[in-house]
Amino acid sequence: MIRVQDAPFDAGDEQQQLLAGRSDIGAVVSFTGLVRDFNERPDVTALTLEHYPGMTEAALGEIVTQAEARWPLQGVRVIHRVGRLTPGDPIVLVVVASAHRRAAFEACDFIMDYLKTRAPFWKKEHSITGDYWVAERESDYRDASRWESENDEIP
Amino acid sequence: MSLTHLNTRGEAHMVDVADKPESRREATASGHIQMKPETLALLSEGGLPKGDVLATARIAGIQAAKRTHELIPLCHALPLSKVSVDFHLDEQNSRVEVVATCRLNGRTGVEMEALTAVSVACLTLYDMCKAVDKDMEIGAIHLDAKQGGKSGDYRRQVAPATAPIVTGEGAAGQVSVGSRCDIDSPCVRVKFLAELRERLGISDVTLPLDSLPSTDVGGLKSALVKRDSRFARLSEGRVLCAVNQVMALDATPITNDDEVAFFPPVTGG
Repeated sequence: MIRVQDAPFDAGDEQQQLLAGRSDIGAVVSFTGLVRDFNERPDVTALTLEHYPGMTEAALGEIVTQAEARWPLQGVRVIHRVGRLTPGDPIVLVVVASAHRRAAFEACDFIMDYLKTRAPFWKKEHSITGDYWVAERESDYRDASRWESENDEIP
Repeated sequence: MSLTHLNTRGEAHMVDVADKPESRREATASGHIQMKPETLALLSEGGLPKGDVLATARIAGIQAAKRTHELIPLCHALPLSKVSVDFHLDEQNSRVEVVATCRLNGRTGVEMEALTAVSVACLTLYDMCKAVDKDMEIGAIHLDAKQGGKSGDYRRQVAPATAPIVTGEGAAGQVSVGSRCDIDSPCVRVKFLAELRERLGISDVTLPLDSLPSTDVGGLKSALVKRDSRFARLSEGRVLCAVNQVMALDATPITNDDEVAFFPPVTGG
């Protein structure tokens, strides 16, 4: 299940819903990304997340499909918030369930790496010294490339 | 305030730090190397003759930080616990920004190590790219912040004139998605997202399909530039494109009522 929303989410609730009524799941890994108060500049006071409605959901769906093709997964939940957020707010949630822990750990890591480099979201940070759009990070592409083979397409 | 590297006779000496208490020290320094846009493009595509430029410059910066005491006469040899060197490719200003952070638990600060890492990483970038660009210029190497130690925390004040890239709060995180062309003849709907929208000062435009010299993304860019020269930005640096919400290239064909979006590299998560 994939959701792009303004509202906050509760990671515990989301995980419980994913597991409800299931006894075949042996491992669940949950990642929550939070807004930091420092990034490209210190003293970030807020950030605004923009996305491309339609394409964003499709891109996230494609990433989850790829994860499901690589690992035997029994449930995936991806929630990404948009709009204005302040430091400490949860921004992204990825919950992955599988029969065994390794698949769950790796698939969760994979989904976050691909989300950061392939899903159309853009962050604008508001800091005490001014507002600016966050630049792409070489380290994110390096992280994502760990999962790539030569015949994968790169956007 | 006195210069600690001069003794009472005004001679250079190394400060005795044996009795200073150990504390967590961290320093961050940055600088940049200005280059031609073509050089930056080659660098980001990995097309330079000396190979993986950023990885090499990163290692050079880390090595340099560890050997700072061999270069700067009165620096102590420090067992650094962490050195990181990061690069931001700044296409707007056509330069690579280098940021280095050094850390240790010890008796002396690590700002010289961070500054040395930035300097040598910049020099290595110069060396790796000089075959294609001899006009590169290294500049603005400075300490951004340091923490720990007797002199306390320091954070460089950012000059307001250089600070805001974009002012104002910006629109909410939404883009309007129009459903149909607003003109009768065959046309293409174009959207500009995020930073690109703010820099161009426009979010949507509709073009008649027959105004495109070729019915593909490349042709659309030409038609836009003909309409207004600021759209030349679409061919500069890393601008991504999607046709009907699927990633596209210049050769991707465009047909009537297609939705074409241009946007910067993504930064979610």
